[in-house]
Amino acid sequence: MKTEARILVVDDEQGIREGCKRALSPEGYVVDGAEDGKIGLQKVKKNAYDLLLVDLMMPGISGLELIEKIHLIDPEVILIVITGYATIETAVEAMKRGAYDYLPKPFSPEALTAVVKRGLEKRTLRQEAKKLYEERDQRLLELVNERSRIRTIISCMADGVLVANMEGRLVLWNAASVKMLKSRGFDVAGEPLEYYIDNQSMVDAIKEVLSAGDENFLMISREIEVETDPKTVLMANIAPIRGEMRSILGAVSVLRDITKLKEIDKIKSQFVSMVAHELRAPLAAIKGWLEIVITGEGDGDAEQQKQWLQRASDRSDSLLALVNDLLEINRMEAGKIAQKIEPVQLTDLIKKIVDFLKPEAGKKEITVEVKLPENLPLIQADQRDMEKLFTNLITNAIKYNTENGSVTIEGKVEASFVCYRVKDTGIGISPENLTHIFDDFYRADDDRIKKITGTGLGLTIAKKIVNSHHGHIEVESKVEQGSNFSVYFPF
Amino acid sequence: MKPKTKILLVDDDMDFLEMHKAVLKNHGYDVLTASSGHEGLEKVRAEMPDLIILDLMMEKYDSGFSFSKEIKTDPLFKKIPILMVTAVAEATGYRFSLKEDGYWMKTDDLLDKPVMPDVLLNRVEKLLTERKE
Repeated sequence: MKTEARILVVDDEQGIREGCKRALSPEGYVVDGAEDGKIGLQKVKKNAYDLLLVDLMMPGISGLELIEKIHLIDPEVILIVITGYATIETAVEAMKRGAYDYLPKPFSPEALTAVVKRGLEKRTLRQEAKKLYEERDQRLLELVNERSRIRTIISCMADGVLVANMEGRLVLWNAASVKMLKSRGFDVAGEPLEYYIDNQSMVDAIKEVLSAGDENFLMISREIEVETDPKTVLMANIAPIRGEMRSILGAVSVLRDITKLKEIDKIKSQFVSMVAHELRAPLAAIKGWLEIVITGEGDGDAEQQKQWLQRASDRSDSLLALVNDLLEINRMEAGKIAQKIEPVQLTDLIKKIVDFLKPEAGKKEITVEVKLPENLPLIQADQRDMEKLFTNLITNAIKYNTENGSVTIEGKVEASFVCYRVKDTGIGISPENLTHIFDDFYRADDDRIKKITGTGLGLTIAKKIVNSHHGHIEVESKVEQGSNFSVYFPF
Repeated sequence: MKPKTKILLVDDDMDFLEMHKAVLKNHGYDVLTASSGHEGLEKVRAEMPDLIILDLMMEKYDSGFSFSKEIKTDPLFKKIPILMVTAVAEATGYRFSLKEDGYWMKTDDLLDKPVMPDVLLNRVEKLLTERKE
């Protein structure tokens, strides 16, 4: 329901104020009065009125002045002038200053209500018109904002965006697409695609989508190679833009740089095939030996059969070691969560490992010496990682040693690092193999180590352990003279 | 007495060399072994085997291929059948076509490790018979 209209009568004659109130109240209006311009203004400031009846001739502020002042406060209010000295001139003057209508004194209640009613109708119309104008302005603003918002979003996208029209001309693009396609810059719109894009397979893919025909829905996802150094691979998703009646209006292409993903994918498949080979080969060997014994195809006496079973058993040991190493690598790659960092006394730990490995060294008459100075600083490390690291290094020093050789473990402080060195008098590593020894599954292509079992992961693990403790590992080696592995840890 | 059929085994894995040797020897073949492609080529030149059993993946991953290429492009040796064996076949997504390319992939048969003794003997027999015809 519409709220009651509020009316203010500004007149110095109380009779007029009372008369107006009496005439208008029965019509459902709320009528208020003010005896001069000053009070009238105060009331207008304080309350919201729909309509004002203003006497032109009042002491103090004149009616005309009041009209202007009121309009400054509330430009929408309807003003009706009442005066006993009605002349055409004053009426015109009042209207000029914004009055809506004019009522000469004396007036009948009927004349008053008619004028007020008309004035209020006018006010309703004005308010509705104003509301419509505001809505229109708001929509225009939204439209402008929307366009600039879309432009802003497209130009800020990390993915490249290209829009081509039906004629194969470029109409919209963003900076990312220019960068990804290494284009010569899209300064002007509307030229054919070839003008901007050197990459033929990209142009072809867009044209393919454009020429699919209105009946077919063709979306292309294609890997696009861009000749950069190193090569960039983009995934282009190209879809038709359709208008009414399904007709194709153009094509929108979204480009994403998938170079990194491709690399990871490649590394993953290399790793999978490498692991598959490393796991499958020993399993096949075990199965092969068992099969020979079971089928009797290898013939051989009981002693021979036992030897073959021993071969199967040895191979399963190395397979087990490999699986353990893979799990170890996985544990390390899972990150620091699995590590328990605490102060570690490496000297004691190394002595324990050496005691444990002495029988193995004894088989080849190899002497193992621990020459660690007293009071080497403790390091912050994971105990289990350190055990694995030094077991790997000392085991290698024994495995790749010669009969009657020796292994020496030394230690010293260098700047802010403590350095441990495992030296052997073994077969050594050739310069070409030396660059690869920390690679996954790398085992030197060397006839001298054919009979030595190894997973090819020991040094990979060693390096990962050292790196995860913010240290580094170095190797020096001379063929037939031996190798030195040095690890450095900050303390 | 006719000379024994001579088979050359080329594999960098000692277990396979020895187990295949045991099976073949037990069935009356004269068996030569080589643990690298290089050594294998020397033995081919010196001994002229009747058949070669070759491991596809040796230390350097293409050496099974390059060995077979050497043999199949040499007019003296190209008639020697090659039986390729590998631990890495379809399980890892590799697919080896016996027909692909003119020569470098050319082998006469392909088997997946582990090769069961009866299957090995069967294929060897078959390749040797085909060769005689």
